[in-house]
Amino acid sequence: MENIETNEKYHFSFKFKNSLPWLIPVFLIVFWQVACNLSWVNETLLPSPIDVVTNGIKLFKNGELQENMSISLYRATAGLLIGGGLGFVLGFINGVSRKARLLFDSTIQMLRNIPHLALIPLIILWLGIGESAKISLVALGCLFPMYINTYHGITSVDPKLIEMGKSYELSKKDLFIKVIFPGALPTILMGVRYALGVMWTTLIVAETISASSGIGYMSTNAEQFMDMKTIVLCILIYALLGKLSDFIAKNLEDIFLEWRAVERRNTDASETSRNK
Amino acid sequence: MKNLKKSFIAILLLFWCGVAIYGWHLTREDAGSSSLKNVVLGYQAGDEFYISKIRGQFVKKMKAKGYNVKFKEFQNGAAMLQALASGNVDYARVGDTPPVSALAAGTKLTYVAAGGTKAKGSGILIRKNSSIKTLADLKGKKVAYTKGTSSQYMLLRALKVAGLSNDDITWVNLDSDAASVAYSKGKVDAWANWDPSVAQVEITENSKLLVDGTTTKALNRSFIVSPTTYASKNKTLSKLIIKYTEQDMKWANKNHSKLIKKMSADLKLSKKVVRRSVIRRTFSMHAMSKSVVKEEQEIANVFYDNNILTKKIDVSKHVQYLK
Repeated sequence: MENIETNEKYHFSFKFKNSLPWLIPVFLIVFWQVACNLSWVNETLLPSPIDVVTNGIKLFKNGELQENMSISLYRATAGLLIGGGLGFVLGFINGVSRKARLLFDSTIQMLRNIPHLALIPLIILWLGIGESAKISLVALGCLFPMYINTYHGITSVDPKLIEMGKSYELSKKDLFIKVIFPGALPTILMGVRYALGVMWTTLIVAETISASSGIGYMSTNAEQFMDMKTIVLCILIYALLGKLSDFIAKNLEDIFLEWRAVERRNTDASETSRNK
Repeated sequence: MKNLKKSFIAILLLFWCGVAIYGWHLTREDAGSSSLKNVVLGYQAGDEFYISKIRGQFVKKMKAKGYNVKFKEFQNGAAMLQALASGNVDYARVGDTPPVSALAAGTKLTYVAAGGTKAKGSGILIRKNSSIKTLADLKGKKVAYTKGTSSQYMLLRALKVAGLSNDDITWVNLDSDAASVAYSKGKVDAWANWDPSVAQVEITENSKLLVDGTTTKALNRSFIVSPTTYASKNKTLSKLIIKYTEQDMKWANKNHSKLIKKMSADLKLSKKVVRRSVIRRTFSMHAMSKSVVKEEQEIANVFYDNNILTKKIDVSKHVQYLK
């Protein structure tokens, strides 16, 4: 009997916890709608959420929204794969080889802090105004978080573990696959999460380069004529896409790092049993 | 539970990839056929090339002559001229001021054609209930403008007409979207701007033009410019572009209601705003003439005299008279 009760309690608290992250966004949106209805804010400066959503539905019906979203998604994904991949390779090389680190690291650190907006004229001059220009800008944005995290992950693997691997006479390849890579994986996946965030923020900058499609284009185009409904819609889309990619990344972490959770559960269990 | 989560994430990722591939497919679509010569035209929303684009005849006529036309939209003239300098745009439709700044910065461009003016839709916006009644009242006021655009020239001209010096007002350099917020919030007293934004602000913000281009002689004429080497090699093409654009302009002047309908749907502006901006301008596109070169030279001179440009420019050296 008692057992069932605690289970139910657990069930309830689980549900409550699930809705907790959405509490603030939902509250904000409700507050925003109410503020608009009571005309606390000027509708031309901030349209109500319902207006924004109906505007979104209108754009969805004439196909504009899906088209722009899928084009943006393509640019973002291509940029992430190229930039993230390159960042991973560079981070890996620099993490493993001291010479490479000395050669590349300070250059990369210098390039890292250049604002993307400042690079636009150069990108137009070198790569033109086509898709490659937009994708390279996103790639550049994604490169650094991946690089830093991969590099950091690989260099901060517990040296004792490497020592142990060596004493088991693991080959260099095995040492990497069985010890270094799994050890670095949590940090690398953290890099993926950061890169996903940067990906969206860079994309909006990239899509100001003579774009005629994409969410960034939609919003800059709307800005020109102060079409606040579309501007706010684009902001909401970015927020939702950002949340979605973070959700995916977080779950990938859970899936790839299952062993970590199992380990933790085991230590928890052993600790509780010891306490008893 | 774990497996369910795994497959859910897998489906989500697959969906993501599917949409991204669809997006890639969409960007591929406009890759033209190879037998035609590609011509890239840069435009800004609402201008002459834009009208040719939404009317749709231009592309067909050019295709019949063996050219594959691609329209590229830009948010402002400066970005378009950057793309022009790097050879990514073959013809750019710009206002009267950006090419002067670009020439001073060393961009090798040639004026190929001149369009109509926006004299009646370009000027200094004020609220109808503003304390500013005459140009002289601008003294001590904050006026928004955008550096390097026609608005800077407008403001210089307006001050000259009013007999004020440049230091008599506070110059507030803002991008057009930032200026629009600043103006509607009352952070600036006046705003030098042009259509269709002027028409929109007049209607939504209960405003009017204190002075327009007919008084200030800042006419805000349209030009088509091309990289110098490209222009000298493609005179026949330039003539074709002028001819077909001119045909579209004639259509635009005759078919206001159709044009207004198309533009307001495409730009997502109210018909009232589009109508106001369309009826007060005459669309045209012609080869360059001595009189428009003189107008451009005047801009270059005024900018040089006010230390906005550090180099004296002879506009007539960068013009192609196509006949």
